[in-house]
Amino acid sequence: MDREQRLAEVELSRKTVDEAIADGLKELGLSSRDEAEITVVSEGKPGFLGIGREMAVVVLRPKPQQRRRRRRRRRKGGGNGNGNGRSEARSGGKQRQKQGQGQSKSSKPQQTGQSKKQNEDRPKNRGSSGQSNRKPNTRESAAVNKERPEQADIATQAEVACGFLEGLVEAFGLEAEVSSRIEDDILFLDVSGDQSEALVGQRGAVLDSVLELTRTVVQRKTFGAPRMRLDIAGYTERRREALRIYAGKLAEKVKEGGGEIGLEPMNPADRKVVHDAIAEIDGVRSFSEGQDQDRAVVIAPDAASDASEDGDSDE
Amino acid sequence: MSEGEIVGRVVRYVVEEIVDDASNVEVEVVDDGEDAVLAEVRTAKKDMGRVIGRRGRVARAIRTVARAAGDEEGLEVAVDFLD
Repeated sequence: MDREQRLAEVELSRKTVDEAIADGLKELGLSSRDEAEITVVSEGKPGFLGIGREMAVVVLRPKPQQRRRRRRRRRKGGGNGNGNGRSEARSGGKQRQKQGQGQSKSSKPQQTGQSKKQNEDRPKNRGSSGQSNRKPNTRESAAVNKERPEQADIATQAEVACGFLEGLVEAFGLEAEVSSRIEDDILFLDVSGDQSEALVGQRGAVLDSVLELTRTVVQRKTFGAPRMRLDIAGYTERRREALRIYAGKLAEKVKEGGGEIGLEPMNPADRKVVHDAIAEIDGVRSFSEGQDQDRAVVIAPDAASDASEDGDSDE
Repeated sequence: MSEGEIVGRVVRYVVEEIVDDASNVEVEVVDDGEDAVLAEVRTAKKDMGRVIGRRGRVARAIRTVARAAGDEEGLEVAVDFLD
């Protein structure tokens, strides 16, 4: 997951190159194209009514002035030859060691229970390898070898996750209950209460981000993250139901029209809901396309044999 | 309540939870036009990569959550991650 990779680039797929660039700039916090290095991986094809469409794929990274000191990093497709091995040379530069304590202490939300700095109180998982993995100068080799320090058990991870969520709710100044349960090695997290709606956002965008952050924090503090599901204010459950209905309608369209229909990108949990729904409908099948946050479900007629049945990896 | 208080608190909280070195986290919330604030995030150099995350995912999530915090105060929010 979000391991120790640093990164200064985003990869997006959108309907058009321009759209991808515009969104990429936004995401990187840049105001104009001049500030970014843009790599067009694929121009995309418009297709017709979403059928036969190919998304444009673009990788953006801020120009060196905006973001120096990036570690070198190669990913398939994403490596546009920037940041070649400068990382080591950098550390001698000016130190950013500002002492911003004033605010950093005072405005910290009170944390309840277990959400106190877990960095300090997870001794059992901090074997030697865990320790060394956090040192910057060994991080690179750790990333290369993919060796992982032993991760905490899921109960500890649940505790860390709940602690993070409670602190977040409190930082928002909301009243909400946080609970968790573990089922089949999946950590189910639930935030409920009238005010928790604020953490859902339009189409669950905030919820997705809260989950992403929770995962990141758990990963950081326990050296691993279990599969997680997060529901806030009952949203996920409602959304699942809506998705099932939506998938059913699209399946009908595919059966009538004979073409494929590509859905918008979804997270793995949502894709699974769609796949499961489609699996129960005769005459259609589904698979996923695209990478990471651009991965999206495609619904296709059952008979079709041309499409890239790529063995869906969504759980 | 001063403008951007919730935004600052939320962004700071999240960033501090992610970094190794929470004592070097600085979050400054500045006016950015009418009903808009800009949260400037600074961390120890070695931590910034974590805050940005693979393909900018973590940074994006922080921005989204910061905007939700802004909604609580009726503010538009931008977040800058600065070296």
